[in-house]
Amino acid sequence: MKQVALSIDDLREAVLRMPDDALMATREAALANLDEHGLPSVRDEDWKYTDLGPAIDISNRWLANGATITTTSNDLLADAIAAIAGAIDANWLIIANGVIDTSRFDESSGIEVQRFSESAAPFVMDRPLADLNAALLNDGLRVQIHAATEKPLGILIIDETNAGAAVSQANVEIEIAPGCDAEVIEYQSSTGTGDHFGNSVITLQIGQAAIASYVRIQNRRIGHVQSGRLCATPGRDARLNMASYDLGGGLVRNDVDIDLGEPGADVVFNGLYLAGDGQHIDNHTRVDHRVGPASSSQEYRGILNGRCRCVWNGKAIVHAGADGTDANQANHNLLLSEHAEIDAKPELEIYADDVKCSHGTTVGQLDETALFYLRTRGLDKRQATQLLTHAFAADLVGRAPVAAAIDEITSLVESRLADLIQEEA
Amino acid sequence: MLEINNLKSRVGDSDILRGLSLSVNAGEVHAIMGPNGSGKSTLAQVIAGHEDYVVTGGDVQYQGKDLLDLKPEERAREGIFLGFQYPVEIPGVNNAYLLKAAVNAKRKHQGLGEVDAFEFLKLAREKMAALGMDPKFLNRGVNEGFSGGEKKRNEILQMAMLEPSLAILDETDSGLDIDALKAVAQGVNTLRGPDRAIILITHYQRLLDYIEPDFVHVLSEGRIIRSGDKTLALELEEKGYEWVREAASA
Repeated sequence: MKQVALSIDDLREAVLRMPDDALMATREAALANLDEHGLPSVRDEDWKYTDLGPAIDISNRWLANGATITTTSNDLLADAIAAIAGAIDANWLIIANGVIDTSRFDESSGIEVQRFSESAAPFVMDRPLADLNAALLNDGLRVQIHAATEKPLGILIIDETNAGAAVSQANVEIEIAPGCDAEVIEYQSSTGTGDHFGNSVITLQIGQAAIASYVRIQNRRIGHVQSGRLCATPGRDARLNMASYDLGGGLVRNDVDIDLGEPGADVVFNGLYLAGDGQHIDNHTRVDHRVGPASSSQEYRGILNGRCRCVWNGKAIVHAGADGTDANQANHNLLLSEHAEIDAKPELEIYADDVKCSHGTTVGQLDETALFYLRTRGLDKRQATQLLTHAFAADLVGRAPVAAAIDEITSLVESRLADLIQEEA
Repeated sequence: MLEINNLKSRVGDSDILRGLSLSVNAGEVHAIMGPNGSGKSTLAQVIAGHEDYVVTGGDVQYQGKDLLDLKPEERAREGIFLGFQYPVEIPGVNNAYLLKAAVNAKRKHQGLGEVDAFEFLKLAREKMAALGMDPKFLNRGVNEGFSGGEKKRNEILQMAMLEPSLAILDETDSGLDIDALKAVAQGVNTLRGPDRAIILITHYQRLLDYIEPDFVHVLSEGRIIRSGDKTLALELEEKGYEWVREAASA
């Protein structure tokens, strides 16, 4: 399959036009890396279900058009930010159109924030699209959470494109101090009638015996493109409890990488994706169990209607010597339309002896018996369908580990489900 | 209220109802008895509107309307209630939510506004107390993890809240211990009135000790082969279904 290539020459020009700051060396290194390896294509095993064509097309158009970063604040964007900040009571760090905005951040919260441009520490990682992120990064954030805070940390990645095509990058490194109990909300949103490609990289370093509760909300405009990577490294006896909600976007690719290199770690991560006409939502997860004992458990659920495609690929690698590993993965899908497609692929690679691993995947339709039961109680078919799909999703909504985000997640899920059911003929 | 005339129905390739006729008037309680496979549950499902049960002949009039033209939800809003033999477990759908949605669907159909949330809860709790149900069941998933008896009580609770004109209870007595049976029977008896009709589908006469029917019908091979008053149920208990079948074919 032939894929459009990224215009490296235009990219080089764009990189050279960026400010000559502490990030420049990294940008140039990332550019050289991209020049050599390019972006992943459907020939790569990890990308076989997801064609980055639309992301490359948007990037090329944006690069050819001067690769301008919109820094002017405008009402639409300001309103969107205010609405989200109003819905979730968090201490917000905002990255709007790739530009950092700390105006809603309370520095007295005890959370320490530094820009990448203020230090020379390298941040590039060897992962697909992370080099594109580094090459075009305006600036990144390094956040240190030393102690539990009154409000959760919010990271709002928001974009607005009203004409043509635009691309934005976000890069945040979060470090949670040993023994600390921290709550983080990552919220990705976009608006505007233009084409947009948002590319984010977030790293989460969880200190010894620390507890990280992480919620990830993706509610981009239907049609917009997103690649989001989250890399978590829990320390000894650390806990990560995460839940991810994909409600919008056109082409969406999420990568969750969890590297368990210290014993005693316990990781639970769940995800819900709701997809309708024209959406393609790909969730790739990878857990590396390098030592034991440690446990990881994931459950992703999807509700698909109309012409759409979703991917769940859950990889767990239990490395040699990681005895005492407990790894569970589950993926359940509700397909409401014959045009909806799910590619569900659990992958377990086990090189240790004393391990407990399980995986289960289901794909099904709504329970006809339950539908009929509800209709005999006076609910019409649409109402009954909505109730049952809602019930399927509600369990995962209930597992959102950050209380401050639950109302917003509930209302987003309800409204997206109502739209999805509406699509049903 | 309900006029069933020569009703024929099939599921898949099997003909189940083979010319069933039954007339039910307001204020009456009818018991339909019969051996397994005689078509009792099929009759209930056809009246409620299950799409897997294809009507191949006959007609059903309900309050002057052609019942078979109506969707299941329209039948419910017009006052028909089916108490399921096997109530469905719906995890994640809150029991109180369903009750309220059901009551409101009917009210909307009647041109009434939505029920007041406070009044609704108060009423639901009263009905639950009368049925011997713990109010905590309101906040559980519909029938989720309920015991057999709890599920049947929950059906009766729904019926009590919906106040149907025609209630069909499909083997509501099966699997109940004596306390649950009494509670369920009391729930049904409370609903009895000059404007309502009740059809009890049952295998055993035991339920009829607590809910006294006006008429008893025996169903066999998709037809009513004998009708009588409550003494017929006692006679059946004593002599078995074979006796009626022989009498009918004689």
